[in-house]
Amino acid sequence: MKNPFDDFRNHRTREREIPLDSIIQSRNKVMSQITKGYEKLLEEEVKELVWLVQYNTVIKAYTLAEKVVKEFEYKAEDIEEFCYELDTTDKIPYLITGPAGIYISALCNYAQEEEITLKLNDLKTQINLLGYRLPVGKKVSVEGNLGDFTGIGMEGGELGVEGNAKNYTGAGMKSGRIRVTKNIGLHTGEWMMGGEIFVGGRVRGLGKIVDGKVYEDEKVIYPRNYRQSNVYY
Amino acid sequence: MTQDHYREKIRGIHDFIKENLYFNRPDLEIKGEKFNSALIFSLLTGLNKGKELIIGEPGLGKTTSAEYVGSLLYRIPIAIIWGAEVSGHPEQTEEKIIGRPDLGKLNKGTEEVVWSHFAQIPVKIVDEINRLPETKQSMILDGVDRGNWEYLNEMIINEEYCLFATANYQDRGTNTIIAPMIDRFDVVIESRHPGPNIAYLVGKFNEKDRILRNSKAENSIHKILKSKLSYQTKLRQMEEVCDDYGEFLKKKLGIETVGLRDRKAIHAAISRLELDLDANAFTRMLLAELSFCYKYGQKRSIENCEEGCHFTGYLCHDTTNCASNRLPTSIKTYSQALAWMIGDTVVGVEHIKAIMPYTLAHRIQWREEYLSNKERNKRDNPFQIYLAKDAVKSIFNRYGEQSEHLKSALAVGYRLFKGEDLEPVDGDHPVYFEIKRDLGLED
Repeated sequence: MKNPFDDFRNHRTREREIPLDSIIQSRNKVMSQITKGYEKLLEEEVKELVWLVQYNTVIKAYTLAEKVVKEFEYKAEDIEEFCYELDTTDKIPYLITGPAGIYISALCNYAQEEEITLKLNDLKTQINLLGYRLPVGKKVSVEGNLGDFTGIGMEGGELGVEGNAKNYTGAGMKSGRIRVTKNIGLHTGEWMMGGEIFVGGRVRGLGKIVDGKVYEDEKVIYPRNYRQSNVYY
Repeated sequence: MTQDHYREKIRGIHDFIKENLYFNRPDLEIKGEKFNSALIFSLLTGLNKGKELIIGEPGLGKTTSAEYVGSLLYRIPIAIIWGAEVSGHPEQTEEKIIGRPDLGKLNKGTEEVVWSHFAQIPVKIVDEINRLPETKQSMILDGVDRGNWEYLNEMIINEEYCLFATANYQDRGTNTIIAPMIDRFDVVIESRHPGPNIAYLVGKFNEKDRILRNSKAENSIHKILKSKLSYQTKLRQMEEVCDDYGEFLKKKLGIETVGLRDRKAIHAAISRLELDLDANAFTRMLLAELSFCYKYGQKRSIENCEEGCHFTGYLCHDTTNCASNRLPTSIKTYSQALAWMIGDTVVGVEHIKAIMPYTLAHRIQWREEYLSNKERNKRDNPFQIYLAKDAVKSIFNRYGEQSEHLKSALAVGYRLFKGEDLEPVDGDHPVYFEIKRDLGLED
């Protein structure tokens, strides 16, 4: 019998391209580049699965992260997705909150967008060091809790946290603002050189602050003898 | 002569009829070009050796449009076409339609048939076919289908012929057209009212019928048809007169027509036009919906489609009968002719989509519930054509969603049929099940 499909013998299968497919494809490509950059950072910085937050290690890690993130293009929403990738998948070998925070900070600092929102409420792990060296003109808003060393070494941007932040928040910051809607841990503003930290809830303890201001529930708690304008005792 | 020259001549005939003989509004747009469906389909019928049923209110040009097209396309003087027309009425007989015994010779003991003009000339018009009683419609089935006309022990075969039948809407004097007869028509079209302004022009020019008359040619052809020559000889002699009539048309009306050899060349060129893969797959999809039944293997008019079947969203649920094998032939040949007429080198989905409703409208029998749901919808076409257009539109939407998938399924079907070890392509449409059935892979 004659092949009833003979007319289609030379037809080459070409499935219709759905726009969503190409979006996913390009997203996957970006995510793969971000992940590879993170892996590179880990290879260089975490040789023995231990990483200590020391002045030199942080600077070294950030320098490397800066170099890596400049090599590809990404968008603000890719940063949020990377946070969840870190938290949930086994594609990335290990999550170490320190280098991860440095890397995410570098991503934020070099993102094209001036305002970045990271919805991290569902993240199981609290990321440390987020907001490191946030430059002037950048605004990062985080929904969810953050870990230690949040906003350290800030250079003038604005970091908002709708949730809690842990110890050493704002340590070594030079300028800019940190707003935390809930509570904040110990050593807040350690070696802080300038800028302001606003805390909506409670500050468990202040660090050794050089300069700058810390507010708790709209009241200045550092410097203690600071007199607000139009407030008379 | 090239196909472009032939096309120019046919377009010339179309434009001449449009401008001088059959005034109507364009109601069909194909690839940006507007046509009047009755006129363009009649031309395609003539070129294609097809069969067309023309419906419409009395006096709206059903018969005359066919007469004009037949006369100009086949170079037959219009009076010969009038004389050969069969009119449908209850007293019609085989002797008047096909042929009768030569009574003079019969008296001498010799059986010889005097063939009717209707049986002999290539342009056949049956006026008001639905006034023929059902039993008498059967008499012309074979002749209509194959061009074989039999009487007593004699037979003539029309090598080239086309058929136009007109039908009024149902009234007390009409009968239904029997199913085997209706299926033999390739297309159904409506000769519509042209609107008051164009209708006013129709009344203004009442000399239209005279311009295609030529007494000399009429008498010559009449003599040939009446003569006792063999049918082949008659055709040869008639062609010579028709050529002269063609010259007359050229001189008197400035219109160039085509002869037998030209028509053969045109028909051959039309037949050579290939359907592209989309047109091919789309047609298969339509045929699948009109013939598929998951439960009973195929559509049968004696079996009911029950509620709850997975395929209730497809046409197989809304129809009661099965598509005949004449349907794909009608779709293909008319689409080819349309593509040729427009000047395209391949038959695409646009041509198929334009042709399909007119090939389906008279062939589909719809379920009563479906008809009740649709009958009060706003529309611009007779109900049957409206339903067919609606059906084609919905199938085309489905095809648009899965054209690549279907073509892949058919390509994989080709390789499976050849014996390759592959998985057939699945899909949610009857056509994918039919592919599996062809491959013997149905669950």
